[in-house]
Amino acid sequence: MRRRFTAMASPCEVLVDTDDRAHGLAIAAIAEAEARRVETKFTRYANSPLSRLNAAAGTAVTVDTEMAELLDFAACCHALSDGRFDVTSGVLRRAWRFDGSDRIADPLLIAALLPLVGWEKLTWRRPVLTLRPGMELDFGGIGKEYAVDRALVLAARAAGAPLLVNLGGDLRASGPRAGGTPWQVAIADVDDTAARAGRLALACGALATSGDAHRYVERGGRRYGHLLDPRTGWPIDCAPRAVTVAAASCLEAGLLAKLALLAGADAERFLAAEGLRAWCLR
Amino acid sequence: MQLTRLNRGVQPALAAATASLLANCGAHAEDEAENAFVDSGLLFYQESDRVRAIEPNLNFNYDFGGGELLSLGFVADSVTGATPLGAVAAPVKQTFIRPISVKSNSSTQTVTSASGGATVVTIPPPPGSPAATIVAASTTVGANRLPLDQGFNDTRYAGTLGWVEPITPDLKLSLGGAYSSEQDYRSLSGNLGLAQDFNAHNTTVSLGVNYENDRSSPIGGTPTPFASMSGSWKNGNRSKDEINALVGLTQVMSRRWLTSFNYSYAWSNGYQTDPYKLVSVVDGTTGLPGDYLYENRPDKRRKQSVFWENRIHLPSDVVDVSMRYYWDDWSLRSFTIEGRYRFVFDGYYAEPLVRWYRQEAASFFRYYLVQSQALPQYASADTRLGNFDATTAGVKFGLQLDKSSELNLRVAYYLQQGDNHPAGAVGQLKNQNLFPDLDAVSVVVGYSFAF
Repeated sequence: MRRRFTAMASPCEVLVDTDDRAHGLAIAAIAEAEARRVETKFTRYANSPLSRLNAAAGTAVTVDTEMAELLDFAACCHALSDGRFDVTSGVLRRAWRFDGSDRIADPLLIAALLPLVGWEKLTWRRPVLTLRPGMELDFGGIGKEYAVDRALVLAARAAGAPLLVNLGGDLRASGPRAGGTPWQVAIADVDDTAARAGRLALACGALATSGDAHRYVERGGRRYGHLLDPRTGWPIDCAPRAVTVAAASCLEAGLLAKLALLAGADAERFLAAEGLRAWCLR
Repeated sequence: MQLTRLNRGVQPALAAATASLLANCGAHAEDEAENAFVDSGLLFYQESDRVRAIEPNLNFNYDFGGGELLSLGFVADSVTGATPLGAVAAPVKQTFIRPISVKSNSSTQTVTSASGGATVVTIPPPPGSPAATIVAASTTVGANRLPLDQGFNDTRYAGTLGWVEPITPDLKLSLGGAYSSEQDYRSLSGNLGLAQDFNAHNTTVSLGVNYENDRSSPIGGTPTPFASMSGSWKNGNRSKDEINALVGLTQVMSRRWLTSFNYSYAWSNGYQTDPYKLVSVVDGTTGLPGDYLYENRPDKRRKQSVFWENRIHLPSDVVDVSMRYYWDDWSLRSFTIEGRYRFVFDGYYAEPLVRWYRQEAASFFRYYLVQSQALPQYASADTRLGNFDATTAGVKFGLQLDKSSELNLRVAYYLQQGDNHPAGAVGQLKNQNLFPDLDAVSVVVGYSFAF
């Protein structure tokens, strides 16, 4: 049973391995509802709780438990990445437009934005958050993966059947399909969305991909990927074009893929040192 | 490119952070997580032929969110039975006496009635003396029997209060206090602690200080140390102050292994003698008792201990191994090693426990004193300060009743073995068991739930 929908500006699907169509649909609906709930809460747009938090920059705001837990998680990711993964780096998008053109950012604009970037510049005393005026939080780096994990865990709790949740290519399976066969997952080619670079078998756990397949600028034969180093405001040098990582949860897979990209030229070495099942496309 | 941290491996920390983030899955969408937790238990403790205790306890924790945590605890225990007086056995009947009441012209004080086979004796003062009439309980112990205080009966109530306040996401302050009261003892304490997390919550360093004030108001008054046993009413309460400092380190070694180490230093000053314990003074040749003196311990004590615990989470089971070494300036030394293994099944668990303890005696521990010899500076015949080994074996069963409640049962057997026939025993004491084995069974029924 497959249910497709669009969320987070991406094609999504929930697969439930059951012959009972009504039950399958009910399970898929739980996953979809959770994905939409997370999207609504953590989108930067509309009048979301996150956008209201950003709008209140400069004042101390008491956040709810879920926001607090995500902030704790973001703090942990920041520490683990030596500052290279930072949920405050979203404002740098104002300087960079990764539209495939040859327009690179204005160094003066980057210099002006950098004071608004950096986890250490905000004050987080759970449950009270104080952003500097102009700072913004962006859970783009973890929000979708979080939605996959939550949607899967909640739906799996209600399901008596194996299922897989796929939100725009970041996915997680509750276990092997009925009969013990693994799920077949396609990895998209970085240059052509329709083509498939490969197929792989996933029995349980998660896969997440991070990369700049369609979001880059190119100038002087040099490609600038959309992943920015929050410490400099510039794209990571020599980063792979895409990294796919398999891990127990989608959050872990997504973070590890991003950490690999952030490692730039050392991406493969990082993946090998971590002993990960991963695919690195250059 | 600096990759030092990455090369150490980020996965364990990331997995832990993810597990923590997803732990409350399901809680946010519909309702908030449970934040009140109640843990209750009832302990039954029985030593063969000696003390019996029944102890109900209740603990309540409330999580205000954001790391603020309130805890309240309450314990009541009722202890009855017989405790060793400290005197050694002899091949003759021995009679012991303790005051139970004092009468003077102006007032009468009665603290307890004679019980446990004791008889009340009334000793009037000599004619013309202003002294009070002595009313005492007298107990006679048969030949070759360990002298026990049969009338032991006490009820204790204790309460604790604690608060945890996060100062920063990585720094927690804790404050607490405790009060405990029984007929002849009162204890009051306050503590302050700080715990700082480092290294993405993988390392925690904690510091704590505790101050305790105890007041001892023995039934029949506080005897003068080394005075001969008597039925006359003594005067006065005594107090003791203790300051304890602790430094601890907890480290997540891997996703499955948690280790913690702590060091504790305590300094106490005040009355640390047991007002009910006696020391027999025996004849240097025959070993027969001639006198019974109230014991005498130093006023000051410096205690130190180190503790190391490892907890390993196997795919489903949990192993816990801990060790403790204790030493103090009374020359008491002890070593404890404990191992627990939790077998986790679907909906229930079984956790066997084994603990082994060895203690080396305090420098002033004496089974008895000898008449012809000079009195030492301090002496106690309390076997709790003696040389002994103790082994505990037990098992705990837990049954998950539903998502948020658990019923558990703990059963343990304790065996304490000292030196029954210490070298150099005098006269008839060669034939006496100077450190009878002590064994006890404890059963705890517990119920905990969250709401």
